[in-house]
Amino acid sequence: MNLDQFKPLTVYTIYIASTPEKVWEALTSAEFSRKYFSGFAVEMEPKLGGSFVVHAPDGSEHIRGEVFEYDPPRRLTVSWNVNWPDLVEKLGTTIVTYEIEQAGEAVRLTLSQRHDRELSDDILSGGRTGWPAILSGLKSLLETGKAPHIEMSPPVRLLEALKAMGIKVP
Amino acid sequence: MDEVFKALADSSRRSLLDRLHARNGQTLNELCEGLAMTRQAVTKHLAILEEANLITTIRHGREKLHYLNPVPIHQIGERWIRKFERSKLAALNELKRQLENGDE
Repeated sequence: MNLDQFKPLTVYTIYIASTPEKVWEALTSAEFSRKYFSGFAVEMEPKLGGSFVVHAPDGSEHIRGEVFEYDPPRRLTVSWNVNWPDLVEKLGTTIVTYEIEQAGEAVRLTLSQRHDRELSDDILSGGRTGWPAILSGLKSLLETGKAPHIEMSPPVRLLEALKAMGIKVP
Repeated sequence: MDEVFKALADSSRRSLLDRLHARNGQTLNELCEGLAMTRQAVTKHLAILEEANLITTIRHGREKLHYLNPVPIHQIGERWIRKFERSKLAALNELKRQLENGDE
């Protein structure tokens, strides 16, 4: 897959008072992710070409992808495909890249979500509501040892837009 | 957080954020289009916004693209807006929008 064909459609940056190693660990381990990502468990084979899976709190496989760039603790790129029937066929693969840089006493974490086609704001609204909460939770967890419980309402705009495209949603 | 409020205290910079909100991932040229500001002024405003972490830039091929970064605004919301107030605020905002549009 040629990553250059994937254009960033959503990009977020957050500063975290931590180390690149800890941020990397928090992004790639289930033990951490359950605390800041609404109970979702990130499981990654730590190598290029390894699998990247996210399990929902009920144990079902929510996301399945592959590791495309692996440069700990600086850069990680994975495919981030939600396991809903027809979703990947209709929207194409979603690519997520984390860039981690030292910035003085803090770490600058930049997340970009990339696609190989234009997508509507309704489709992108899912990530645009979810990511700020996930990243804030990650920051709190690393800085204070505790992530606040953030109440997330269902991504109504996204679900409606998917339904309109004929994609079955849970 | 001072930097965020300083960056937002300027209408030109808010309008640049509005342009990115309408269409994310623009180049400097695209952002300058149709603006009554010099390219130099736009560059300066973008630097202040990036310094405050309100925008993020990413290189894509040969282009430098600008993205609205709502994370600091989200953090301000988390700090001062309690969960139970959120739905009331959303309702008030919707009422204001409808009254001001005058179409309801």
